[in-house]
Amino acid sequence: MSLEHDNDELKKLEHKPHVFAPEGDFEAPAKDTVPGPYYMAADERMPELEADEPSMQGAKLDSKGKPFPVDRRDFMRLFSASAMFGATACVRRPAETAIPYVKQPIDQVPGVATHYATTCGDCASACGIVVKTREGRPVKLEGADEHPISQGALCAMGQASIQGLYHPERLKGPHIRHGRRLDPANWDETFAQITDQLKGKTNVAIFTGGSTGHSDEFLGEVLEKLGSSKEHLYTWESNGLFSSISKAHELAFGHADLPRLELPLAKVIIGIGSDFLEVGTSPVYHSKGFSLSHSYKNGKKGLFVQLESNYSLTGTNADKRHIIKPGTETTSTLLLVKSLFENAASKGSPAARENIKAVLDKHASSLSSAYADVGVTKAVFDDLADKLLKEPSVVVAGGSSNFDENATLLQLAAIMANQLTGAYGRTLQFEKGWMNSPVKSGDLKRFLENADKFDALIVIESNPAFSSPDSWAVEKALENIPLVISIQSFPNEVDHFAKFVLPNHHYLEAWGDEQSIAGVWSTRQPTVRSTTNSRQAEDILLWILAYMDKSLPYKDYQAYLKEKWRAIYEISGVRHDYDVFFKFVLKRGFTGSLASRTLGDLKELSSYFDSLPKSKSGFVLLSPLDYRLQDGRGAHLPVLQEIGDGLTTVAWDTWLAINPKTMKKLGIKQNQMVEVTSSAGTLKAAAYPLPGLQPDTLVVPRGNGHKDERSTISNNNGIDPLTVYAKKSDPLSGEPVTSLQEVQVTPTKEWYRLAATQKQNDIANRNEIVKKYSLAKAKKIQNKTVDLDTVPDLFPKLEKAAHHWGMSVDLDKCNGCGACMVACSLENNVPQVGRDQILLGRTMHWIRLDRYFYGEIDNPSATFQPVMCQHCNHAPCEAVCPVFATTHDAEGINSMTYNRCVGTRYCANACPYKVRRFNWWTHKWGTMGKRGQDRNPRALNPDVTVRTRGVMEKCSFCVGRLRDAKHFAKEQGRTVNDGEVKTACQQTCPADAISFGNLNDAQSKVSKERKNFRAYLMLGGDPDHGHYGIKTLPNVNYLAQITHDEPATGFGKQQGHGHSNKGH
Amino acid sequence: MSDELVWDKTISDVNDGILKATGKPHPSYYVALSLSLVFLIIGIIAWALQITYGMGLSGLNAPVYWGTYITNFVFWVGIGHAGTLISAILFLFRAKWRNSINRSAEAMTVFAVITAGLFPLIHVGRVWLAAYWMVPLPNTNNLWVNFRSPLLWDVFAISTYLTVSLLFWYMGLVPDIASMRDRVKGYKRAMFAFLSFGWTGTLRQWHHYEAGYGFLAALATPLVLSVHSIVSWDFAMSVQPGWHTTIFPPYFVAGAILSGCAMVYTLVLPFRRMFRMEGFIRPEHLEALIKLTLLTSTIVSYAYGIEFFVAWYSGNPFEWAIFVKRAIGPYSFYFWVMVFCNCVFPLVFWSKKARNNQTICFIVCVLVNVGMWFERYNIIVSSLVEDFVPGSWGHYEPSLTEIAITLGSFGWFFTWLLIFCRFFPFVSMSELKLIMPKPLRPKTKLKEVKG
Repeated sequence: MSLEHDNDELKKLEHKPHVFAPEGDFEAPAKDTVPGPYYMAADERMPELEADEPSMQGAKLDSKGKPFPVDRRDFMRLFSASAMFGATACVRRPAETAIPYVKQPIDQVPGVATHYATTCGDCASACGIVVKTREGRPVKLEGADEHPISQGALCAMGQASIQGLYHPERLKGPHIRHGRRLDPANWDETFAQITDQLKGKTNVAIFTGGSTGHSDEFLGEVLEKLGSSKEHLYTWESNGLFSSISKAHELAFGHADLPRLELPLAKVIIGIGSDFLEVGTSPVYHSKGFSLSHSYKNGKKGLFVQLESNYSLTGTNADKRHIIKPGTETTSTLLLVKSLFENAASKGSPAARENIKAVLDKHASSLSSAYADVGVTKAVFDDLADKLLKEPSVVVAGGSSNFDENATLLQLAAIMANQLTGAYGRTLQFEKGWMNSPVKSGDLKRFLENADKFDALIVIESNPAFSSPDSWAVEKALENIPLVISIQSFPNEVDHFAKFVLPNHHYLEAWGDEQSIAGVWSTRQPTVRSTTNSRQAEDILLWILAYMDKSLPYKDYQAYLKEKWRAIYEISGVRHDYDVFFKFVLKRGFTGSLASRTLGDLKELSSYFDSLPKSKSGFVLLSPLDYRLQDGRGAHLPVLQEIGDGLTTVAWDTWLAINPKTMKKLGIKQNQMVEVTSSAGTLKAAAYPLPGLQPDTLVVPRGNGHKDERSTISNNNGIDPLTVYAKKSDPLSGEPVTSLQEVQVTPTKEWYRLAATQKQNDIANRNEIVKKYSLAKAKKIQNKTVDLDTVPDLFPKLEKAAHHWGMSVDLDKCNGCGACMVACSLENNVPQVGRDQILLGRTMHWIRLDRYFYGEIDNPSATFQPVMCQHCNHAPCEAVCPVFATTHDAEGINSMTYNRCVGTRYCANACPYKVRRFNWWTHKWGTMGKRGQDRNPRALNPDVTVRTRGVMEKCSFCVGRLRDAKHFAKEQGRTVNDGEVKTACQQTCPADAISFGNLNDAQSKVSKERKNFRAYLMLGGDPDHGHYGIKTLPNVNYLAQITHDEPATGFGKQQGHGHSNKGH
Repeated sequence: MSDELVWDKTISDVNDGILKATGKPHPSYYVALSLSLVFLIIGIIAWALQITYGMGLSGLNAPVYWGTYITNFVFWVGIGHAGTLISAILFLFRAKWRNSINRSAEAMTVFAVITAGLFPLIHVGRVWLAAYWMVPLPNTNNLWVNFRSPLLWDVFAISTYLTVSLLFWYMGLVPDIASMRDRVKGYKRAMFAFLSFGWTGTLRQWHHYEAGYGFLAALATPLVLSVHSIVSWDFAMSVQPGWHTTIFPPYFVAGAILSGCAMVYTLVLPFRRMFRMEGFIRPEHLEALIKLTLLTSTIVSYAYGIEFFVAWYSGNPFEWAIFVKRAIGPYSFYFWVMVFCNCVFPLVFWSKKARNNQTICFIVCVLVNVGMWFERYNIIVSSLVEDFVPGSWGHYEPSLTEIAITLGSFGWFFTWLLIFCRFFPFVSMSELKLIMPKPLRPKTKLKEVKG
């Protein structure tokens, strides 16, 4: 078999066709024909869900109706426990009782997982997910393989949302405010009081985070029933891209939607301040597409050029970054449009070209002098235009680091560029399966304008009090509204202004649907009965209406959805009856096919471009959304805080990133507090030197800085940059300006140690750790195979078992999103340790992301390297353990026997990869240090042992999953097929960077990748020249990164690391 | 050399002088004992806290999984080397000067090894299992300890060494205990009689005794070399740059003897005053000890040099990076403390004047002990802090708990040593008599003279 052929096979394996719903008939699935996970419809397999009403549970009340902190039984327990501890003063292990089913549900087998398909509710992209539940409780979320958006993957935030479900600080029941006090109440009392207060008031408004499904329509109906109007439904999302892109498309084409990026087709991608891989409009979908289009395959590699002043995670994945001055994104795009327009190969209909020409002509003179202001030469733009026109390409503009008053203009400019490149209809789908915006543009502004007229406001799953700039005075507006009802699945800042604080179901407990891609409907179904005394927001509204005798004709929101879905059923052409259809859709998680429409020509746009945006002067503050915490909705999830930012590696804190050279100029050192002052306010944050930032930019990400005392995890953690933003809005979309604020910088004498997990930015010339090839070299050697396993050595041969597990990590694909770390933490019950412990260097991650900078300080490139246990066949750790707690099993896994471990920690010293993690403490929920509560056993994966203090742990190749798969295969009398079992990190990776499988099977993807010319072993030397490094023979291999140009080998002179890290 | 010594005491002064002084120490003894007890209590509290709350109380982290505790372990094992060297090897070489200090050196060895033996227990994450799992106990599951692990070799090496040292030490004590038995009455007499195994000092007993002592000395001699070689394998057997080197065994042994000799000097000098033994432990004996210190110091200096040379000559970039960073990196302070204390300061001993100046010798010996502690700290910490993968480089500082336990270990060591000195002669009476001049005029109570 030729090697070329091998590569083709690899390509085939990698290629995942776009799985949109088949348009043929439905068949009701029989269990036997469905291999592997079997997705359930909630009411089918969860008898406990069938109970009509959630009963009063949770808060225990004393005679005055107040919760007594310790009841009699707890007191007795504590008393006897302390007596016992006093007597024994020994290891504290509370007795746990396993309660078997008295009457076992007929199809619930303890130990066998049940999977439910539902839709992620953490951001507007609405990824389809599969929820693995064990004994009736969700333990892990995974992207649904077939779902068109997630395509099997999930981002860090999506993975983490299971921690939100079990969050101990969720409200246990409805609360009513009396002055400053928030008192628990029961639902009846709450509804009665709300009814009382709403009586005769018709000016009711609802503020939500928006939805692409039926929820908004439902809320509209509720408002009308309450005597208000649909107009008083305000949908606002702090990720302004939805507003600006949909507004721009409304202006340009008359449809307020978003185009769907078909990245797999784009060979050339130009990003202008874009963050499509980290926040964007649908990060998982984009990462999947980007990975397919951009990674190396058969001598080809896509080109991604990013123009930005921030150094974003998306920017790190660019082959070339051009650093532009802050605030010139729109001008840059127009310059690109100009170059495109002047290029003879440019496309676009005559009418569109005419409109574009009008814009260019209007600013002809200022455009031709704008190159200096942007900081990029004309030649670069011409070159980019040339590249854009040669191959299928797309221009992706805008991101949270540039939500300024020109955000919509930037999108308009991008539309023009994409018209000229011919992206529409190819790499930008606006006619077939476009993306719906969950929000209406400018609703926050509209809300504030109307706020003084409201009698009552219902805030559902939204936190405008925190995620809008302070200068917008949303809090003031909320304070002035006579009645605020806050319905949140997790307490937030809005609650302070609410008379009624009602716990909403977490989305894993709720019904719903989303249609984020036009025509494709995703369903959301409960996967567990609510863990607290919460109710679904929509149901709460139905109850309120019922109490007010204004009932809508639906029993609950599920009934409403079922009613609405009839329309979808009718157009689906399914012959089975509606119930079968509905059940099937719930099982599958989505249905429908791409909607299509025809687009008119580009409309006249020149009137919007009044004057060309100029670069800002002085220092400019950028506040991008942190891709882990978004606008703060992830801040209460310790697992997200813990993974740290990919670029700075700072966890649990907010940092102020500055270019190292600027820091030197200003005399600022790492960890020194810096005061940032604007016309609107002041903030103080610790400085972090981030190379590659435009010298005049300061970056303080959003997400942290909650001061609401609602969660011990997020409260007083980090800094909220929105305090320094002056009240400005984008005139076209009406969205608030949340980035690009002109500021002054003053260093202070204070110090604050940022908990950065990585202290060394530079690979210190150890190029056998991260290998890179230039594209030219790769083309030359791509037909070579490498043999990583034939190494001269004196050890006896390994025994051969049916499986020898191996993993391959493609550094060319990894984009540093950190989803693997979250997935691993949740799959393997890895504890979170908190800032203090991270400062000591005690992270517990089984997989970590090492980030190395290369090249110059002003414009470096960054490479991410996921490092997990390498499962060495000659493992240095195994030889040194005195008690055989770590051993090699017959399948190549370096396995831990926690029971035998006594904690000498010699294995961890011996490990050259430093992937072993020691339990320094008995880990608690959230963070160490604060008097923590125990980890909720329900939230832990029952398949994985929870390690105690004093025990070493590390990546196990998800051995629990391997066992499951092997048992499943054994039942069917076969071995495990390739791709049948996935590790948690591999499963969730949105870039498909990780492959895993059986190395004994020559046809498996992983063994083919291991022979690929790019394969190498970390610290494995240079086998071509007879150097085998330290000869640990890992079962994990890496695939070298491919760069377009000759790869840089070192990083410019080190700035502000190492010494300055210590002691402050 | 002792032959030419001018003694102002004779054999007949030995038992009287030494046993009297043993019973009534100088008041400073009680100050020292209470100080030791305070440190010991601090250490016990710290360890108790660490067992209760977890290893997190130490400053250890990833990647520095070993730190102060292992430093202490190696330090105390090293201290424990001089005793056997002095009593066994010098005995076989018939270096007579050893007879005045061998008892104190042996006692120091025993207590130092016991102290060292505590540190693996203090260091492990689950001390409540360690003792059980680390011992190869036969069991029905056929689960054995890992005989490939240097840590297990350590268990054997240290326990063997402790056993032999203990036997050797106790054997030397037997005639002296018999002397004490003969001077007391009541229950004490019965107790000492039991402890001295009915020693009467007959010629036949002496004959067996000498043979046994010589045999034990021969048995203990290879142990002097093996124990610290094996301890060094704890490091040398891993792939860690800075550890993975063949020079470690001799280098560690030399270092151990250096620290041991320095420690003996550091202890003997004050104890000699405390128990008024100036007449028995002669300045010439002390000078001989200093010469041994100087010798081992030069060996250690050579080892430091060779280590650097090999790191460079091997062409291994990881190894070389560690060494460069040791000298000029963030942990260079410890490196230079080590170099100055172990290589530079002992150079004053080339001067005879300095060798005989007890103040200078005492200060330098204390500094050598400090230097040797930092040598181990340096080897352990600076190799771990920045090893193969730059992404996981870290830093380490000892925590208060570690410092408290380290102080506690000194308290523990000195408490035992002081208690021993208070109740037993810390100069070997029977052996001292071998090198002392005969009395000019026999005393009346002849039966007490055993030599």
